[in-house]
Amino acid sequence: MVEAVGQRVECQWCHGQNPVDAQSCATCGAPLDVRNLVSDSGWREAPRLRDMTEFHFGSSSCQVEGELVPVAEITLSPQDGIFFEHHVMLWKDQTVPVGVMPLQGMMKRSFAGMPHIITTARGPGRIAFSRDATGELVVLPLHPSMELDAREHAFLLASHTVQYSYTRIQGMRTALFGGQGMFMDRFIAAGQPGLLILHGYGNVFERTLAAGQSILLEPGAYLYKDSSVQMTVESQKLTTGLFGGTGLHMVRMTGPGRLGMQSMYVHHATE
Amino acid sequence: MASNPPQPPGQGSPNWGSPANPAPPGQGSPNWGTPAGPTPPDQVHQGWSPPPGSQPPPQPGMPFAPPGMPFALPQPPPAMAQPPAQPAAPAGSYTCAWCGMSSQNPGGSCPSCGAPVDVRAIQDTSGWTQLPAVKDMARIQFGQSTCQIAGTVVPVADVSLDGGESVFFMHHTLLFREDGVKIDTLKLRGGWSRMLAGMPLVMVQASGKGHIAFSHDAAGEIVALPIQVGSGVEVREHTMLIASGATAYDWVMSGIYFTTLKGQNEQETHYPMGQFLDRFSAPRAPGLVLLHAKGNAFVRRLGPGETMLIKPTALLYKDLSVSMHLHFEHPAGAYQSWRSWGNRYLWLRCIGPGRVAVESAFVPVEDPGLDLMGSSPATRQQW
Repeated sequence: MVEAVGQRVECQWCHGQNPVDAQSCATCGAPLDVRNLVSDSGWREAPRLRDMTEFHFGSSSCQVEGELVPVAEITLSPQDGIFFEHHVMLWKDQTVPVGVMPLQGMMKRSFAGMPHIITTARGPGRIAFSRDATGELVVLPLHPSMELDAREHAFLLASHTVQYSYTRIQGMRTALFGGQGMFMDRFIAAGQPGLLILHGYGNVFERTLAAGQSILLEPGAYLYKDSSVQMTVESQKLTTGLFGGTGLHMVRMTGPGRLGMQSMYVHHATE
Repeated sequence: MASNPPQPPGQGSPNWGSPANPAPPGQGSPNWGTPAGPTPPDQVHQGWSPPPGSQPPPQPGMPFAPPGMPFALPQPPPAMAQPPAQPAAPAGSYTCAWCGMSSQNPGGSCPSCGAPVDVRAIQDTSGWTQLPAVKDMARIQFGQSTCQIAGTVVPVADVSLDGGESVFFMHHTLLFREDGVKIDTLKLRGGWSRMLAGMPLVMVQASGKGHIAFSHDAAGEIVALPIQVGSGVEVREHTMLIASGATAYDWVMSGIYFTTLKGQNEQETHYPMGQFLDRFSAPRAPGLVLLHAKGNAFVRRLGPGETMLIKPTALLYKDLSVSMHLHFEHPAGAYQSWRSWGNRYLWLRCIGPGRVAVESAFVPVEDPGLDLMGSSPATRQQW
């Protein structure tokens, strides 16, 4: 998971530059002394962050604790902040102030089942987060002008430099059968770099689709994608004679861009 | 189809031990729900001890039936040929300690089941062998196709179909597929019964050339079971991930149930390990079955007549030669009355010879805590 560049090594996950003797990437925490695990079909496993790995964003740091349901423990500096859904908070210092991020379209979010409230926290102090099932933390440093979509409720936290919005999923069939509901979270690093941490259930795999290249994915397995990746739903009727059968709906993801997949997913009832 | 179809509620056993129809003294063995004296330890697994002159005590494998009702003798296990003995492996070959298959130059893992070759089997002192975790990105060969196991928490079975092979699966385990892989419905008999039993109504077959991947919805392990010609396994429902097209699939009654009184007169039938079992066999060519075990998987090889109590919901798979029935265990000192079930533990008693595998993350057995009205063949122990 490393490529030597002069006296520095480049992380193959986030392309951050690190000292040659570093064990893990200072930007995303990926181990630098293990090779990429890529399946024959082209999916790359997201790096398994070692217990107690620490990485940095802005003037703050994040330490990953645990391996089954990992915890992201954030040490916030006074000039940094983060935002998150309030139900992923695990613990925090009493002195860390929290607030609410103003959001637009509250009625739409309510109808779409998205969280009404996005909570913010500012430094100094420590605050920690975790989700409710076995999985992996996916650390995605966002470079300026990068746009990334994530399935709703998948994001654990993002740094305050990241712009948060949501995008309506195009097409009624995609909204109904795409496993996403009507909206996806969208994270944009407009003027300065930022950090986004997702929690994927089970194992997480990433694949970079070339322009026009596509793959059919179980809707519940979709975790994140570059905003350039297009998503449509394709359906197939599986019949069983007198009993009718069922409909099988899969999302076709078409590149260019990155696509993230989680191996444990909620199977959405199709009919 | 397996034997012992359950009796429909309301048509089965009389209400022994119930206030409406207590079992006559000296008749019938079970005395469900009535206080019973402690069973001497030497009666463990010996079933009930009815008074002289009554029906003979049920033996393991015999049905639990009320007095005056004929025993419905269970049918013998299906006549499946025993797997042929493995020929002696040539020098330099590798024989997998997990699946018993031989291969040449296996690399890092067994090509038949993916088990690592560089680890020793982990066997605890009681005889259970822990499934060696399949290495990340290990490949399993079946025909000209391969299956790569990716991930370690909720592993993915990434199948590369060569064009000549196919796999079948339950549609909700599908993760992704490429355009070259076509899927269609696999014809199944007994759709009505499957629907009533909560089993998937649709089994899907994938063929063509390309990649198709599968995963389950819980942390665990993928267990690869190569099926030799003439042999087979029975698998608890909903644990199958995929099976190769050469594998024959059938589903059989589990024959494990008990009934309780629901309301005043209605009986409710409970299936602690599900109403059906999936059965996989290889009638003409070797097959491959992949299961998803929640938590860790352990296997134990029982000798002829050797018994083992396991939780019904923990069963992962068993050889066809292994028979099983219910076992009720009552701890000493537990309060019981004619209206109370007291404290009982529900077990599945497996009898060798053959393999029995369990998964460590299992859901608790559903026991409504009511007096038993009847059950499938069962043994009982009162401590």
